Amino acid sequence: MVDVPIPETTRIRVEGPWIVRLRRFAEITRRVLRNPTTLAGLLIIVALLSLAILAPVLTEPNVPDPYQMPRDWGARDAPPGTPGHPLGTTSTGGDVFYGVLWGARTSLQLSVIVVGITVTVGTIVGSLAGFIGGKLDEILMRTVDILLAIPELIFALAIAAVLGPSFGNIIFALSVVFWVKYARIIRGQIIHVKQNEYVDAARVIGDSKLKIYLKDVLPNSITPVIVQATMDMGGIVLTAATLSFIGLSEAGLAEWGVLVSDGQAGISAGKWWASTFPGLMVFLWALGFNLVGDGMRDVLDPRTESR
Amino acid sequence: MGRSDRRSSLGFWGVFTLLVVIIAACTGSTTSTTGDTGGDTAATTAPDDTEEPATTDAPDDTPGDTSGGEVKNPGLYVHAADDEPLSLDPAQVAAGEAGETIILQVYERLVEIGPGGPELIPGLSTEVPSVENGLISEDGLTYTFPIREGVVFHDGSELTADVVKFSWDRVLEMDLPESNASFLADQIESTEVDGNNFIVHLEERNAAFLSSVVTSAVASIVSQQAVEENGGVTAGQPNQFMSSNMVGTGPYRLVAWNRGENIQLEVFEDYWGEPAKLDVRIDQVADSDVRALGLQAGDYDSIETDPTFITDLEGAEGVEIYSGDFLLEPVHMGMNMNIPEGGLPPEDTIPLDFFHDVNVRRGFNLAFDYEAFVEGAMAGLGAPIPHYLPQGMLGYDDSLPRFERDLAAAEEAFREAGYWDEGFTMTVLAEEGGIFEIAGLVLADSMAELNPNFHIRVLAVVEAQFDAAHAEDPFPYAAWIKNADPFADPAALFDAYIHPDGEWGSVHGFRNAYADPDRIASLVDEAAVELDQDRRVEIYQELAHILYQDPVWLIPGNERALMAHRSWVQNFQMNPLWPRPSLKFQYFDK
Amino acid sequence: MQIREYLIRRLMIFPLIIVGTSIIVFVLSRVGGNPVGIYLEHEMSAEEVAQLEERYGLNEPLPVQYFAWARGVLTGDMGWSGVSAQPVTEALIDRIGATLELAIFAAIVAITLGVGLGTFGGARRDRWPDHMTRVLSISGASMPIFWFAILLLIVFWVNLGWFSTGRSDPTIFESIPHPTNIYTLDAILAGNFKALLDALHHLILPSVTLGFGATAIIARMMRSSLVEELNEDYVDAARAKGLPERLVLRRHARRNALIPTVTVIGLGFGFLLQGTVVVEIIFRWPGLGRWMADAVLRGDQATIMAYVLFTSVLFLTVNLVVDIMYAYLDRRVVLGA
Repeated sequence: MVDVPIPETTRIRVEGPWIVRLRRFAEITRRVLRNPTTLAGLLIIVALLSLAILAPVLTEPNVPDPYQMPRDWGARDAPPGTPGHPLGTTSTGGDVFYGVLWGARTSLQLSVIVVGITVTVGTIVGSLAGFIGGKLDEILMRTVDILLAIPELIFALAIAAVLGPSFGNIIFALSVVFWVKYARIIRGQIIHVKQNEYVDAARVIGDSKLKIYLKDVLPNSITPVIVQATMDMGGIVLTAATLSFIGLSEAGLAEWGVLVSDGQAGISAGKWWASTFPGLMVFLWALGFNLVGDGMRDVLDPRTESR
Repeated sequence: MGRSDRRSSLGFWGVFTLLVVIIAACTGSTTSTTGDTGGDTAATTAPDDTEEPATTDAPDDTPGDTSGGEVKNPGLYVHAADDEPLSLDPAQVAAGEAGETIILQVYERLVEIGPGGPELIPGLSTEVPSVENGLISEDGLTYTFPIREGVVFHDGSELTADVVKFSWDRVLEMDLPESNASFLADQIESTEVDGNNFIVHLEERNAAFLSSVVTSAVASIVSQQAVEENGGVTAGQPNQFMSSNMVGTGPYRLVAWNRGENIQLEVFEDYWGEPAKLDVRIDQVADSDVRALGLQAGDYDSIETDPTFITDLEGAEGVEIYSGDFLLEPVHMGMNMNIPEGGLPPEDTIPLDFFHDVNVRRGFNLAFDYEAFVEGAMAGLGAPIPHYLPQGMLGYDDSLPRFERDLAAAEEAFREAGYWDEGFTMTVLAEEGGIFEIAGLVLADSMAELNPNFHIRVLAVVEAQFDAAHAEDPFPYAAWIKNADPFADPAALFDAYIHPDGEWGSVHGFRNAYADPDRIASLVDEAAVELDQDRRVEIYQELAHILYQDPVWLIPGNERALMAHRSWVQNFQMNPLWPRPSLKFQYFDK
Repeated sequence: MQIREYLIRRLMIFPLIIVGTSIIVFVLSRVGGNPVGIYLEHEMSAEEVAQLEERYGLNEPLPVQYFAWARGVLTGDMGWSGVSAQPVTEALIDRIGATLELAIFAAIVAITLGVGLGTFGGARRDRWPDHMTRVLSISGASMPIFWFAILLLIVFWVNLGWFSTGRSDPTIFESIPHPTNIYTLDAILAGNFKALLDALHHLILPSVTLGFGATAIIARMMRSSLVEELNEDYVDAARAKGLPERLVLRRHARRNALIPTVTVIGLGFGFLLQGTVVVEIIFRWPGLGRWMADAVLRGDQATIMAYVLFTSVLFLTVNLVVDIMYAYLDRRVVLGA
């Protein structure tokens, strides 16, 4: 193992051998976790992920499709604390606890898939724009401007409206809406690197564009991308739940937004549990990821450093 | 540090909260649409709790408190509906659409359905034509309507036989696709005016002409003057003025249509008959819980009642539940015997002639859990029906056979058909969000309970998509769930839903299903032109027996006519033969 | 001058972006096929469907349809709204007052609460008020509006009975004329105190619900820019001179910190705009958001197109104005990137 001095500066330009980078990340992580609110967010995330993973263990999966809420026409609108239904049942006899757990699973799938798609698409588009530059860059950025003109939720609404109510369509709609920020981040990084004299030196030496890309652009883009992705994990579930609440999901799906929407009609008659618990889950999910993302951004964004 | 800063923020929020509380207090008990004070009674089902106003002073001009005591809004009748008209023009409104009830109150027809049942009473015609009084010709092809004199429209113009002819001609000329114009056009050969009489010549005899056609919204009489001054008549084009304005002869005139909010009607002073006593406001309230709360608070005098809320409303102070006859729009699942090649969704494993086999059709009918559906979606306020006679329709009888769940018989049927071991997957198209989707889910559960290899996919789509798919011929799904159009007479019902060459018969290939389609065709045709009602009953009951053995529908159930209303409403009465909500406000008082 | 170039560029691109947005909106509306479904009644025959397609111009080739629609937008005829059974333009005008009123009151809530919270936290950096402010504002950003609204209704409507849904008591509402369709304004113009009270009473819950989320964005920005300001040299100088802390805060730092906070008005506005959809559904508010929700559920593309275009143009305009304001207010800003 080579003994390499760790740079003094607290700025996060990551250069040098991988060991150094690893130590850097370790220290960043430590600093991030020093913030109590961020730590709380992380704990929330861990709790929710456990619920999602343990769903088939903690509850009996519904047949034939576990992502459909079980229906029990005989046990409708039972309040929390009813034996077998710790959080009560919905108006079609579905167990709210089941909905909470399998909804976590649904949300996990949804957010991972959408983040995966958006990061990939955004990176590709941003890279093309940044590297090739010129006309293509202009066109792509104008397109980005146009897409950004439409407020996110409304755009997702319009897309989902056209495609029809289904969970897959919501995933598609959200992917179309959420990739833009990543393109901007990557493109920004490429331009920044292009302007950096260090790259000119490398070019003199003869490093290929690809090497520059891999050595400089990507590692430096990772942090803003990770921060954005973390925030998006929360934001995506929030938007998806809103779309489901409005009515764009499949009926009977074990998804938090659908459950809140179904339970809404009962509140005036005192049946508060069917919408309160699933809604709480959406809040906690978004809160957890936002706290962590925010904490990360605080540490990694030099502008708000304490002096 | 920053103590005054904290103080000023605190100060601001203190003032803000104080303002909020003051505003809440001052306007608390006058609040409108739903239970601020209704909150207490809504949350519990204990009927004995008299509610107390949750807030303090009420401004003095509020009439009384909100429980069963003093009448709220005297002089005004407020009904809370769950859907809104698309047009108020008789030439544009479709059957079963929300505009029909407004047309019922504001416009009039030659003959009306009376409050007491299916009996007809004179409307703008001074007598109800019959063979006895000579106003129907011997061969049943000519009807004469003597037009009432001295009747004025809301715009002051006079009613004459020419205006009647104009109203009907207008519908036929505009012939709007969304309207019920074909209803008139199919029957009528020609019309003429002779002095004060309006004479109609039919294409062929029709037992239900008066009860079904003349009383329907499309046959309403409109003011010729109003139409001619506002856009006239153009073939194939709607008249925008007439779509949102109404000029009729009825006991009510239209004051305002605030889309998404309410429709306001006021009493027409110069009405020719018994004047109405109350002005009317129909509030558009999509949420059933909000309607229920508003009723309890006294803001509404009657509400479109969702059966699942009955338990909350029963026993509430000042509220009565009117539960009378059955509606005439049973929920049904259509079976497609005319599936196009490649027409089914990829998930379906059934062959194209799946429903040709009577065992399959009977199997479905025997497997369905009618009780779960009626208890669940209709909260017990409904019942299955014989095919195809809803309760209250001519020909109905309690003794007629109807399907009940019989899993053993269902199994036998499916074994006969050869699907028992392999199972199948089938998609059902339904409108999402309401009773149709629930029927689909109950069907899926019923079939899965019978045999876990029987997979029913419920494809719930928005209304627009459902209507678009429904308009396709041939129909690209194996089955669909909707409710029947409300018909006042079995002739039109059977022609549409049972006749092998009728509206659905031709699209769904009933001829591929019936063991003896010609027999069914001849029976349906005979009953349509037969003027002797007893003979007609015989025919329809024979058909009911045939269809029990050879069904082409699955009928989960028929709802009861149900309405919750305030006990201070006098003469409350529903007639399912009137378009939903089956009320005529001119008869009410408070 | 750099600023002038930037502004001219932005202003020139502005109409192009709007045209681009309109194309996207139009394409979206036709991707799912023919949008005639909303105008159909069930059980229509194929000929009847064809008649309706002709009436609404849906049988023309797509580019023709686009130009017809675009021309209509400019002349004020945006088609027929299936969900409200009236011309789209009429429906838009009918409903805009309600949404505008709601948005304004929500903005008041968001700005006062946001600036207040941001100042509270920013001045006590890294201590518990700061953490609490941070958690509160992140909670606001994470809060599903539909859930928050339902919670508020459960507490204040079902249990306490202080408030209800809806915009007004119909009897009181009908008692005054409505020249502007902004209920509070109409009540003031009519000199009717009871109506004004009725309007405010119904505005409280929905505006708090709607404004709460935007509060987070504003508080966040206010807090971080205040922190930045407090680190500036002039603050140290003022403190050294012996000026009391609250004067430093109130007179200088806060005012300067407000400048970057102005930039989040654009973001906050977008947030409010989207929030109205859900808030109007739950509180039964007769505005544009609920109209859009109905249209989305029932496939009324004419309405959807109008709403999306309208909100996008609004959003673009607000952002442009904010960018211009910011560019003039703070010359330190690096323009364009």
